[in-house]
Amino acid sequence: MKLILKLLASFVVALVLGVGSALLLLQGGGLGGTISAGAWKTSEIIGSADADPYTRARVAVGGLLALNRSETIYFTAATDDEGATLRTRCSYKIIGTDPPARWWSITAYAADHFLIPNPQDRYSYGGDTVAREDDDSFVILVGPSEAESNWIPTGENDGTFTLTLRLYNPNEETARDPSGIVLPRIAREACTE
Amino acid sequence: MKTWPLWIAGTVVLAAVFHILTVFAVPYGIMNRAMAGISTQAGGVNKAVYPAPVTAASRGIVRPSPDLLYTACVYDVGARPLRVTSPVPDTYWSLSMFASNTDNFFVVNDRQAKAARIEIILTTDDTTKGDNGAPVVIAPSSRGIILFRSLITSDEAQPEIDAMRRQSNCEPL
Repeated sequence: MKLILKLLASFVVALVLGVGSALLLLQGGGLGGTISAGAWKTSEIIGSADADPYTRARVAVGGLLALNRSETIYFTAATDDEGATLRTRCSYKIIGTDPPARWWSITAYAADHFLIPNPQDRYSYGGDTVAREDDDSFVILVGPSEAESNWIPTGENDGTFTLTLRLYNPNEETARDPSGIVLPRIAREACTE
Repeated sequence: MKTWPLWIAGTVVLAAVFHILTVFAVPYGIMNRAMAGISTQAGGVNKAVYPAPVTAASRGIVRPSPDLLYTACVYDVGARPLRVTSPVPDTYWSLSMFASNTDNFFVVNDRQAKAARIEIILTTDDTTKGDNGAPVVIAPSSRGIILFRSLITSDEAQPEIDAMRRQSNCEPL
């Protein structure tokens, strides 16, 4: 009887540790990846048959039906340029120029990987919709306070969020080596209580 | 003799096994849930569904793009090949296929299609021939998801893009 109890306890502890550690590892940070460009991260094997089991599981949890990099490169940012976690109560400026792709977009997602509810129903800006400065650069404001243009609202709830930058049909050089790309900066402006 | 070191070692090894099994099982479990949701909306497998543009209320597939109109169908080519057809717009569009483990095993976009209409045969049988020279794609798994992405270039263009993507279809041969 004592042996059966010990075996049962060992099984339960192992199940909780094994499944829990796997799920914890797969949560957060979108698609993840080891290639960095500022705060943005990506992986060369997203959507690919060469994907390792962890990448495949991370894609399933945080980016199901992601295309392979010949078609689309997905960069995810979970922090600003200083390395601080992105929070919905803070305002950020995303400052940059058009990335080297046929079409691009920047979208904000809540911690649950779905779009952030907001009264404006506005979740992203892209190459077709962003308002540009005189020198063709752009500034996108992400945060809870209303801005005149290029504003992605982060809603009324306090929490973390992530940004996804999609590059559809990236140019050949970028598709071959995404690590050399220069991407928009993410600068924190202010936070509200 | 003390046996607790053996119990701890055994528990750690068993935990590692559960960890690895979970990592391998997660893609299949999430794809199965996605396939169940899409096929329920479409009224079965090998049928297309044309969801409205995504909003914060869309909870079917994680990290959707609000800039695209999605058209999806769950394929099941275990018994018969599938004919996949769609008009090809002159703005960004792609047709992609995903295996049951989430791998994106095929994608073609509007520029690569080089025609106003595309037809592709999906099968697991590499001896299948397409009608009129239609390209044949071999699926690595008998079930999976086909996804059409159509870029919404502007609010004004959306009705036309929506009407066109509703002509995309999946049907057994």
